[in-house]
Amino acid sequence: MTLTRRGFTLAAAGSLAAPFVARPAFADNEPIRVGWLAALTGPSSAPAIGFDRGVRYATDLINAAGGVKGRKIELVVRDTQGDPTKAVNAVQDMVSRAKVHAIYGPTNSGEALATTPIMARGKMPNLHPGFVDSLIDPTKFPNAFRMAPSNSQINEAVANYCLQIQKVTEVAVLGDTTGYGVSAVTDFVTLFKQKGGTVVYQAQIDATQPDVTPDMLRARNANAKAIVIWSVSTGMEARLMNTRTTLNWDIPFLGHPAMGSGEVGHLVDKPENWSKVYILGFKNCSFGADGKLPPRTQAFVDKIKGKIELKDTILWWVACGYDAIDLIAKAVDATGSSSSEAIIGHWNTLKSYPGLYADYAWSATQHNGFPTDEIVMSEANSQTDGAYKLAPGYTICGPSPQGEGEKSRREPKDCPIEEVMMSAVTTLRAVAHPRAAV
Amino acid sequence: MRSMFPFLIVFGLAAVLPFTGSDYWTLIATRAAIYWVLVSGLNLAVGFGGQLAIGYVALLTLGAYTASVLVAGNLGPAWPAFPALGAAGVVGAVAGVIIGLPALRLRTFYFAMTTLGFATILTQVALAWQGVTGGGIGLPGPTLPAPFDTGPGFYFLCLAFAAFCTWITANVAHSRFGRALVAIRDAEVAAEAIGISKPALLVTVFLFSGATAAIAGGLFATLQSYITPDAFTFDLSVLFFIAILIGGRGSILGPLLGTIILTVLPEFAAPLVAWSTFLYAALLLIIVLVIPGGIADLLDFANRRPLERNRAIIPRPELLAEILDHGAARATIDLRGVVLSFGGVRAIDGLDLQIEPRQVHGLIGPNGSGKTTTLNVISGYYRPEHGTVGLGDVDLSHQPTQARAGLGIARTFQTPRLIGEASVLQNVMIGGSINGTASFAESLLTLPRHRRDERRLRAQATLALRVVGLESLAAVRADRLQHSELRFMEIARALMLHPTFILLDEPAAGLSTDEIKRLGELIKRISQRGTGVLLVEHHADLIFDICDTVTVLNLGRELAAGTPSDIRAHKEVVSAYLGA
Amino acid sequence: MLASILASGLAIGAVYALIGITYNTMYTASRVMSFTAGQLGMLGGVLGSLFILRLGLPAAIGFVVTLIACAAIGVVTEIVAVRPVLGKLDQHLYVLSTLAFALMIQQVTAIEWSTEPQPFPRLLGIGNGGPWDEKFWLPLVACAAVTGGLEFLYRRTLVGRAFLAISEDNFAARALGLPERNLRMASYALAGVVGGIAGFASGELLLAFFANGAMLNFYGFVPVALGGLGNNRGAIIGGIALGLFQQAANFTVGGVFSSVAVFVVFIVVLLAAPQGLFGSSRARRV
Repeated sequence: MTLTRRGFTLAAAGSLAAPFVARPAFADNEPIRVGWLAALTGPSSAPAIGFDRGVRYATDLINAAGGVKGRKIELVVRDTQGDPTKAVNAVQDMVSRAKVHAIYGPTNSGEALATTPIMARGKMPNLHPGFVDSLIDPTKFPNAFRMAPSNSQINEAVANYCLQIQKVTEVAVLGDTTGYGVSAVTDFVTLFKQKGGTVVYQAQIDATQPDVTPDMLRARNANAKAIVIWSVSTGMEARLMNTRTTLNWDIPFLGHPAMGSGEVGHLVDKPENWSKVYILGFKNCSFGADGKLPPRTQAFVDKIKGKIELKDTILWWVACGYDAIDLIAKAVDATGSSSSEAIIGHWNTLKSYPGLYADYAWSATQHNGFPTDEIVMSEANSQTDGAYKLAPGYTICGPSPQGEGEKSRREPKDCPIEEVMMSAVTTLRAVAHPRAAV
Repeated sequence: MRSMFPFLIVFGLAAVLPFTGSDYWTLIATRAAIYWVLVSGLNLAVGFGGQLAIGYVALLTLGAYTASVLVAGNLGPAWPAFPALGAAGVVGAVAGVIIGLPALRLRTFYFAMTTLGFATILTQVALAWQGVTGGGIGLPGPTLPAPFDTGPGFYFLCLAFAAFCTWITANVAHSRFGRALVAIRDAEVAAEAIGISKPALLVTVFLFSGATAAIAGGLFATLQSYITPDAFTFDLSVLFFIAILIGGRGSILGPLLGTIILTVLPEFAAPLVAWSTFLYAALLLIIVLVIPGGIADLLDFANRRPLERNRAIIPRPELLAEILDHGAARATIDLRGVVLSFGGVRAIDGLDLQIEPRQVHGLIGPNGSGKTTTLNVISGYYRPEHGTVGLGDVDLSHQPTQARAGLGIARTFQTPRLIGEASVLQNVMIGGSINGTASFAESLLTLPRHRRDERRLRAQATLALRVVGLESLAAVRADRLQHSELRFMEIARALMLHPTFILLDEPAAGLSTDEIKRLGELIKRISQRGTGVLLVEHHADLIFDICDTVTVLNLGRELAAGTPSDIRAHKEVVSAYLGA
Repeated sequence: MLASILASGLAIGAVYALIGITYNTMYTASRVMSFTAGQLGMLGGVLGSLFILRLGLPAAIGFVVTLIACAAIGVVTEIVAVRPVLGKLDQHLYVLSTLAFALMIQQVTAIEWSTEPQPFPRLLGIGNGGPWDEKFWLPLVACAAVTGGLEFLYRRTLVGRAFLAISEDNFAARALGLPERNLRMASYALAGVVGGIAGFASGELLLAFFANGAMLNFYGFVPVALGGLGNNRGAIIGGIALGLFQQAANFTVGGVFSSVAVFVVFIVVLLAAPQGLFGSSRARRV
């Protein structure tokens, strides 16, 4: 079955019957119920649709192979539409009625912020695909684990790329007027200044503003050498790119992955307007200079050919969804139990688990599992099959081959990006807007 | 008491819900209770007052942020949760008035738009004021102290709030304030003549509904445990609004059921979530087009019983003494040189007119001669361009319409202005609105003064209905009455003011000959009690039978004036108008 | 910078003015303010993009088909959301019925089209994105053409005079034997066309985006409120003024505060002059 954007609704509807039947807590061949909280429809649904393909593919794969120790995986899906109110209802439903064993999601930060305390109360093993720093706190939420970078890690990576690879110290930082745009700009500016850079111009632009020339002019008059953009508004991003061409201004754009979405490609006046745009990306899901994906990822892409549509989504979304189911299944497999203590206990000792999206590592005191050195910048207009080319300036570090993850991850010999101590990360103020999703 | 029964069932079921052991349904029920706290207050403004405040999520947002910010200590020292909830109520009350103010000056659609605008702006402010609100990242909702910090504990707290709100809004609904609100909604012009001050009333209601909405917001923040601007969607506004309309305007039970249905329904229809807004909208459209009365209308069995067919209106003027017991008016209504024009046409062109106590003064003339306009000038709907309108020494020209009622000037309308959904008795009770003594707050809690008011108004309205001969129809919905009955109902309503002057605009139109005769007798007896009557009428017989003085208007001027016999002999009148 | 503010301010102002005229056209025919005005503008852009980019029709044909579709939506609005509640104008049920219908249009567009802005075709290919680009002057041209067209319609044609007659005095017009219902439907079709033109002409500027509907609803209403209900000249002046003010505010105080500024000015002006700045005479109430 090829999962496409349109097809998911039916699939989702089918699996929705599940929560309405109360089940006994334990049984011998009891399926492993996985709650999947996703904004599958609504204005910020693109990432969740991508995750969803990975989630379903992994589930089908495991079930086709006989399940985990004879237990099938059963998805309990609720579409939250990015609305925290619906997400709160859905989480309570999963915890007390459907009695799921673990939850993946929610995908949008506003929902995640509201539901994390509820899941903590229910001691529900929870995998977060979200970026907001404050979601992860092993003391307050011992059940929550992040399998994505935090905003601080992302800001760090983008700032480093600016300063060390592009060798640009004077930047303009632009965002939209949504909550995400406002807080992302503020946080990036703070971090960039800490690292010794100069922010020569900073502005919030209304995403519906039809013309962005004045903002670009002011950035130019302020002598910006690069523009960092934090917004999920593809319309606004395309307008900025078009204006850059109109003004004949040859500087790089850096920032949010939305700038690499196919939507932007349709919206720019000329294809070349989309060049020199570098977006956040992830090493495991990027083409190296040799034009190849890391072997592990390539193997996955080959396997899913014809089964999952990658043209209208992004590979790392699919990979992240796949990894989530895999991580839950492995926890049950390793401990032989689907109890909350078993799963959380297993994750707390997870060391360099070789996922598709990244090599994750958690400990009892560190639930941010994404290694900073796997955050890279990609060329926005280079998408093929959901993956991007690395931005210029990277020498290939070679993605960690399976098995020896820890070493290569911790000691990036020739990777230019510094590694950041992740413990510092949680104390930084969180970023990311609800609507922004990942 | 019987009317309390459904409420007892709803809240009784709600109270046992947590014992079924499902945290999930407890959560959903908590949500419904919180929404009802908001909707109950909003119901007074929307369902009763007819003010289309569609952006009420703004007040939920404000309450949620006020409570959360105060508890978090982002603005001064950290507050305990309950005082913060109270503060949210106060802030909400003030904001409710600010958001509601445009309703006093603007058309309905404009008001709807401005409330929407407020909702948008508030979200923008929450986003921009990062230091306090946390911007897009939001902040945690207040945590309540034990025993309200558990799911069921918090639920019972919300349920108590909901029950309390049900009780107080039902009290208001059954007070002169509730009736006055409905009057503003359905018969605004009549409400003014009765002396109801729309601004004062609406400000009070917006204060109240703002406070309940903001308190609901505080509870909402606790329920959500964490709030971000995107939790406050336009969909929520639509939900609140539709809950009231599904329930039925002017009802408490209906919107309560509506709120419960709209909160619970999506949980059963989870696969349709993508279409939820569409379905809400479709539901709204269907309600508006098919059952404008909502659930309340469907449950109103009493008013489906057929009425007696051949009922006659037999007024009992002898009872008038109990109502009009103030003796004769001491002053005269005095119009001097009144001029009023509409778009260049002079509707009244220099008119002098005196209406004496104890007299029936007829006002006749061809269509467009300015009869009703004269009446409207006396009532204060129009301000004369030149000339004065006085009552004794008091200059009425510059007083608002609603001041007339206090001076004892009552009136009826050419087209009866009634509240169709209210009973005949309630319609008449509205007439005595200004004679109430209890304040809004007293009515909220049914304090003794409120109960005394209600008893007195009810007794007087019953008496007034007996005077005009409609007492057997007291409990019937007014829109089921025949046209002629409505004319007598309007007179009963006017009598509630104990008027010293009563202005009747074509009271005999549509009446049978018998009814006209009885009407004439009633009018005559009203004047004999000392009340001055101004009678605008087309039925020449009635005029000549009962009037003491008659003024004939033509093109906004006095054509003739005098006793009926003078007029009957007046040449120009006979040729131009009477045609006899 | 000034050139840029002027170009985008005038362009967006012209769009607001056109939506204002859409409101007015529906209002004069039925005394109803309809929440669908902005949605018609949104549909102009979305349908234009659908017909020309997705279905590959030539631009001119795509334009005509878009307008026909918008006119049809206008007529449906009249039949579904306006006519049934006309009898109870004083209960303001139209606010609810048109709101419901507008929400339905918006949701269907969001689900069936996209929740992301989609590209709109380049119509003439004049300009390079600067202040003289077609995307800035097309809305102005459209606004001028619509104004001229309406002026001609109302002053020179029989149908137009019949429109004016029913807007002046509904009952009298019916008494004269004018087919009031057909004229009202025609007015709604006309409103659909005006809204469609607004959306089509501004497609390159605003893109084919479902959320434009709600935005245009509000900002298109502002010139109506400021210019006086039913007053097209007021709507044009109000629309252009709003566009310029909003863009200037965007560029001087930034996105968040500009919408607050626009709203505050709007409320203050409206409370000071509820009939609008070019207001009409007082209405008879009793």
